[in-house]
Amino acid sequence: MWIVEYRELIRILTVSDLKVKYQSSVLGFLWSLLNPLLMMLVLYFVFSNVFKFEDDSFALYLLIGIVAWRFLANGTMTSISAIVGRPSLVTKVYVPRQVLVLSTVLSSFTSSILEFSVLIPLLIFFGVDLSANVLFFPLIHLAFLGLVYGMSLVLSALYVYYRDLNQIWDVLLQAGFFLSPIVYPAEIVPDKYLAAYMLNPVTVTIEMYREALLYATAPSAADLAFVAAAAGAALLVGGAVFGRLEGRFAEEI
Amino acid sequence: MRRRSEMASRLSLPGIRQIGEIVNGTRDLGEEAVVVENVSKRFRIPHERKSTFYDHLFGLARGGRYSYEVFSALEEVTFSVRRGETFGVIGPNGCGKSTLLKILAGVLRPDAGRVAIAGKVAPFLELGVGFHPELSAVENIRLYGAIMGLSRREVEGKREEILEFADLKRFENMKLKNFSSGMYVKLAFATAIEANPDILLVDEVLSVGDEAFQKKCGAKIEEIRRAGKTIVYVSHALGSVRDLCDRCLFLQEGKIAALGEAEEVVEEYLRRMR
Repeated sequence: MWIVEYRELIRILTVSDLKVKYQSSVLGFLWSLLNPLLMMLVLYFVFSNVFKFEDDSFALYLLIGIVAWRFLANGTMTSISAIVGRPSLVTKVYVPRQVLVLSTVLSSFTSSILEFSVLIPLLIFFGVDLSANVLFFPLIHLAFLGLVYGMSLVLSALYVYYRDLNQIWDVLLQAGFFLSPIVYPAEIVPDKYLAAYMLNPVTVTIEMYREALLYATAPSAADLAFVAAAAGAALLVGGAVFGRLEGRFAEEI
Repeated sequence: MRRRSEMASRLSLPGIRQIGEIVNGTRDLGEEAVVVENVSKRFRIPHERKSTFYDHLFGLARGGRYSYEVFSALEEVTFSVRRGETFGVIGPNGCGKSTLLKILAGVLRPDAGRVAIAGKVAPFLELGVGFHPELSAVENIRLYGAIMGLSRREVEGKREEILEFADLKRFENMKLKNFSSGMYVKLAFATAIEANPDILLVDEVLSVGDEAFQKKCGAKIEEIRRAGKTIVYVSHALGSVRDLCDRCLFLQEGKIAALGEAEEVVEEYLRRMR
């Protein structure tokens, strides 16, 4: 199994990716925390008048949605060029090409864990009652990892052949941001669309993060199973598409 | 309906199905280290390069077809390399030598045929693959070791040997971007050679570094040869092929022109090229 055999390479590539990410800007790690906070502030002032929340948890509601979404957006946007961005590791030597995708996704995954762990003290500070249900977080986050990695496999492989895919994906991500319950509560979705709306595994995942972290409730087994199944499907499809397209990577780069 | 299926076929992805197979790893092939059976490799050279969705859609709208020429780099190549043998590959430019080496390295996948390799392969297609200028010498050694699939402990065990062989002990914590090109090449060669591969794929990269280091490399290759490792050596230097190799393969336009004792094959090559 390549994951086991090349674990050291995955580790090194992930760590060096994180180093580059946090050293390249002056504020480094701090910047990556400020980004979601500032975005939350902007969206808070825009949308807090639009949607009337009973309590004042809208800021935290937003923040959880933004941090969760950032993992999907950053994870897929950076790993889309995982293959094309390291030509020498594709054309000059053989390493399983999935290693390159997995290490960029794991780097975003690590960043996301760091962002979530800064979120927890904030939650406590603003008086949220954390319960044992927080322990569902690792489970949800792992399922989300599967989903993001599966999508990244497809994107990075297609990007080798279609170099404008990053532009298209950027637009799709923007659409996805507003199609998911990040800046608005899912309750505002009209009943007749709700069933279709909840078919989006990202929507269900974001709702589950909020249940575990903000509302001190356990996510339902059905939701967990649905997201896990979606992650499994993403991994299967991603693996199949990647395997099919991998053969000509070295020629097309 | 027919129109629709035509559309679908035009929209289909450029990666055509490849039936070629590479079996890597610790498979026991008996006496043989490398077995190549009926391997063919064709490259597609599109008339119009379409590398974006936009190009594909625009091409469809104009009713254009996805047309390309096929360049056959290797045709039905069959040979095997015995364990512990030094095997030369010669031929004029563009005969498919590098394609063959890349297939053996696992970088390219053949369109047809089968390649089986017993043991770990170290490709010397280019020195310093994966090296990162922002990392120190030691960090680059770790990175390259990981690319070769070594564990952390294995790399740490070899670290001193590598630095000593490359004469770079003093510079172990210097960033690679501050290395001279000679130092860079020394480090790359030392790291690659100490990865302890079973099969070495060498593509004319040995003419590197200063005189003293070249001698050291030559001695090291000889040592590896004596230790019973398999070497596949691609070169234009017929003299060194004759001296180093036991057997030799002569490729011309992607086909085998001659295969046998190094001496005879080199003779044949010289006769044909005249």
